[in-house]
Amino acid sequence: MKKVMALVMAALLVLGLAGCGSKEEAESKGEEKKTTQAAKSETKAAGDETPSSSSSEEASGDSIKIGLTTVLTGDRSLEGQYASNAVKLIEEEINGAGGVLGRPVEVVIEDALGTDVGAVNAYRKLAADEDIVAIIGPDSSNDGMAQSPSALEFKILTTAQGSSPTLRDMCNNDNEWLFQLRACDETLCAALIKYAVEELGLKSFAILHDTETSSADQARLFTEALAAYDIEPEVVVPFTTGTKDFSSQIAQVQNSGAEAIIGAAFQTEAAILVTQIRSMGMDVPILGSNGFADPVTIQLAGDATDDVYCASAWVPNTPNPKGNAFAAKYQETYGEECGKAAAQIYDHVSIICEAIERAGSTDRAAVRDAMNTIDSYEGAITTYDCRTNGDCGRGGLLVRVQDQKAEIIAEITSEKVID
Amino acid sequence: MNLQLLISGVSMGIVYGLIAMGMVLIFRSVGIMNFAQGEFLMFGGYFCYTYNQIFRLPIVVSLILASLSMGVVGVLFMRSSYWPLRRAQAKAIIVSAMGASIAFKEGARLIWGSIPVSMDRVVEGTVKVGTASVQWQHIAIIGTSAVIMVAVYLLLEKTFIGNIMQATAQDQYMASLTGIPVVFSIGLTFALSAMITGVGGGLLAPIFFLNNVMGATAGSKAFAAIVIGGFGSVQGAIIGGLIVGLVESFGGAYISSTYQLVLIYVVLIAILMIRPQGIFGEKIQEKA
Repeated sequence: MKKVMALVMAALLVLGLAGCGSKEEAESKGEEKKTTQAAKSETKAAGDETPSSSSSEEASGDSIKIGLTTVLTGDRSLEGQYASNAVKLIEEEINGAGGVLGRPVEVVIEDALGTDVGAVNAYRKLAADEDIVAIIGPDSSNDGMAQSPSALEFKILTTAQGSSPTLRDMCNNDNEWLFQLRACDETLCAALIKYAVEELGLKSFAILHDTETSSADQARLFTEALAAYDIEPEVVVPFTTGTKDFSSQIAQVQNSGAEAIIGAAFQTEAAILVTQIRSMGMDVPILGSNGFADPVTIQLAGDATDDVYCASAWVPNTPNPKGNAFAAKYQETYGEECGKAAAQIYDHVSIICEAIERAGSTDRAAVRDAMNTIDSYEGAITTYDCRTNGDCGRGGLLVRVQDQKAEIIAEITSEKVID
Repeated sequence: MNLQLLISGVSMGIVYGLIAMGMVLIFRSVGIMNFAQGEFLMFGGYFCYTYNQIFRLPIVVSLILASLSMGVVGVLFMRSSYWPLRRAQAKAIIVSAMGASIAFKEGARLIWGSIPVSMDRVVEGTVKVGTASVQWQHIAIIGTSAVIMVAVYLLLEKTFIGNIMQATAQDQYMASLTGIPVVFSIGLTFALSAMITGVGGGLLAPIFFLNNVMGATAGSKAFAAIVIGGFGSVQGAIIGGLIVGLVESFGGAYISSTYQLVLIYVVLIAILMIRPQGIFGEKIQEKA
């Protein structure tokens, strides 16, 4: 009897794991450390203007190395999965089109572990390698800021993925080696509030936000944007990262009588929040940060995301032709929708390659100087102007989720202020 | 509002109670706190997801199969993380469990990926109770967990296998002298512990979604529940879990939503000041 039971249980376990085999294979492939260049691509994404040569010959010679610190393990490993997948595609695209300066491009990935200490350690390991020409920071603004002193120390072009205004100011004022590529949250939050007040006619708001740095920053920016209309939030309810049951937070919002809810959180928390808000009988409009219109959020929360408005850097159905082509390629290759973290990596690698091409060399200082000459580079997400280091990205998208699709209401653009 | 908070507090609390009960079973059996228990919750959720979303089996069948699969995982965990170190210091076994916790998390990421997933609910929809709007899944969580708790109680107290497990928990050496297969008994305890915790994962996943770190916070709250209820007490683990759930729910609404976890530990300290052995714990005194 014991043996029979053991056999049955073992069979069940094997059955369960086998069911995931194909997915495991696909995803582990996407996450493996990049150490080899993929110069043998037979495909070029539609509309792919590679940042370098227009040659259709394949690249040859020693590879040009770009470092990437992203989160491969731990709580935020979703970011690393998107990033690793995007790296594969961009390497294929660039190298298939002749590479940069005629040489293949290789993106070397280090695990930032999802902590500021991990981000700095990963950064320093990459920076110590003299073959690395530039480094891309993690998605978190906090981690990007933690890497800033190391960028100054190693004097290497560093592109930060975070979008906080504190990071932007650091790029503009304190660190000539650090560039913020994404449009600053200040621009996106203000645009969303403007739409909510002027177009939707909403007058009272409750704010629910994660206490981690970037979401707390976004909550502050939403509050400041409301203040421009003499509106104070009815209630501001913070919650800690990893919170699963939002009943007590939503109950406070319900009691406040607000006409709309503003949320600032990453994808998983955003999906849980939206689902629980709807299940507690609140059908008010929800205005959210990037995470609220993310494909993962929409997939998880389903119909509950109807009437969610979001000022987002990226949606897969972007009107940007380059972005659209990349999203289609991503979907075709990996069988899932392209998230912001993937599109960001595509743009970061592309723009660094453009800087290398403009510099005509892989000298770190020359590449950084060339980066400052980029004033209207068309990326997959937006147009980039890096004449000041911070806030290179010029805009985003105002979207409304309906029937589980992010519909684009308007494009957000901001003018670059050059002193 | 209060009814809403009560129901969500009880449904969360009863799941913390399930995890805590699993931890207590292992603690009573081998005297070691299993710091990978939260990962049993996560792995159970993923097994349930596999049966329900990949093999397209009904959710109830998926929960049962996931529970059985977790039984196997529990035995494998025991054989790999506890058994080789059974004669080592307790510290070594605790570190081993912590290592297993990391292995579980990263293993799940490699198998199922980093993108959070969801699955069918046992019961769809919401029900209006007074002014509160309650998800049927919360009711299902409370009901299923209560049934599991009663079943575990009956198994331990009223069956021959339960007696074997209790005897082994009390004194492994004496149990072996009476002919009880100790390794079988300990393996069964680990399996049972993983099974009941794994079901919790399958029940929670449709509401809170599944990712590879879902067990971490729940595990730490279950640990608080054990301390509140009293180390080694099964009923203490359940009551402790309910206290943790209710403190989290009402404390978050009326005191601070940011410091929900802090509030739990404040209550824990307060209870320990009054009853250092926990609510159901037995007082341990050194003889003069």
